[in-house]
Amino acid sequence: GAGNGAGEEAGGAEFYLRYYVGHKGKFGHEFLEFEFRPDGKLRYANNSNYKNDTMIRKEVFVSPSVLREARRIIQDSEIMKEDDSNWPEPDRVGRQELEIVMGNEHISFTTSKIGSLVDVQTSKDPEGLRIFYYLVQSRGIDAWYKLGRPFMAFPMGD
Amino acid sequence: MAAAAMNTDVEAVDFDSDDDDLMDEEGAIEPSPAPAPRLRSTIAGGGGGDDDAPRKTKGRGFREDPNSSSAHRDSRLAGAGRSGFDALASDGGPGPVRSIEGWIVLVTGVHEEAQEEDLHNIFGDYGQVKNLHLNLDRRTGFVKGYALIEYENFEQAKRAIRESDGTELLSQIISVDWAFSSGPVKQRNTRKRKLQA
Repeated sequence: GAGNGAGEEAGGAEFYLRYYVGHKGKFGHEFLEFEFRPDGKLRYANNSNYKNDTMIRKEVFVSPSVLREARRIIQDSEIMKEDDSNWPEPDRVGRQELEIVMGNEHISFTTSKIGSLVDVQTSKDPEGLRIFYYLVQSRGIDAWYKLGRPFMAFPMGD
Repeated sequence: MAAAAMNTDVEAVDFDSDDDDLMDEEGAIEPSPAPAPRLRSTIAGGGGGDDDAPRKTKGRGFREDPNSSSAHRDSRLAGAGRSGFDALASDGGPGPVRSIEGWIVLVTGVHEEAQEEDLHNIFGDYGQVKNLHLNLDRRTGFVKGYALIEYENFEQAKRAIRESDGTELLSQIISVDWAFSSGPVKQRNTRKRKLQA
């Protein structure tokens, strides 16, 4: 239910999450990015030049329950234990960024777009990259931004 | 009840290069009006000055030159005083807020074998479920975690929260709460907590 603020979790540890995926192509810079702030503000920006030159920027406050669940998913994934040193670097195809603060740990990972599990398995760090891949695509981080659209186009149905 | 003021349009807003975001930690470098501004990370890297203990940092993101063309960190999300972003209802304090389409409820602690049907069975009791999203862990094919449920009316959502929070779904307790709020989470100041310890 409406529990205490997310700041109560883990002894009041701070939580912040930012995810970016994008590329620069013939249509310009197309990207999706969102950010959960410790106070619950969710900011979201989406630029897709494919349809027309539109830039969508939204913000909304999520409840403590949402922050708590986001934090749980991150902890569950154990992404904070990983390191992007051996992950593929961003390239012409695209770029992903994942920045998380959890308590006194702060990660800021960058890598290329990941097409499929084959890319994961053939990488130099298949174990770590798999964790990233599943976190983003399986836990649906790449869909969390949809919470930020006032229209609330639901994650399913897109 | 939270104000129902909301943006009714989904359309894009033009990029606003105002940079009055109080949380910005980086230098106030005004970007040239980029066609595709990104968010700027609002968390300082490598240990905020106020922290008792500096943060442990890890990742290429800290080593990249923030001015390099590949990074383009400046102002993707930044410039986000209210003017830069469409805000979804804000009348000050925290409290439920309505999205464009309805009232959205977050269900957590969902059993990994739950199906959408199970959720419809429970939440359909409180009103018509306009939308339902179940977060599925693709790795195992099982549900892990949460669902989002949307109702048309505040009263339906409120009743769903009140009556289903803390109940069981497939023998596992679920928590049910609002997904959105009209204001920031009340945060305890961690420094004060440490001083009190």
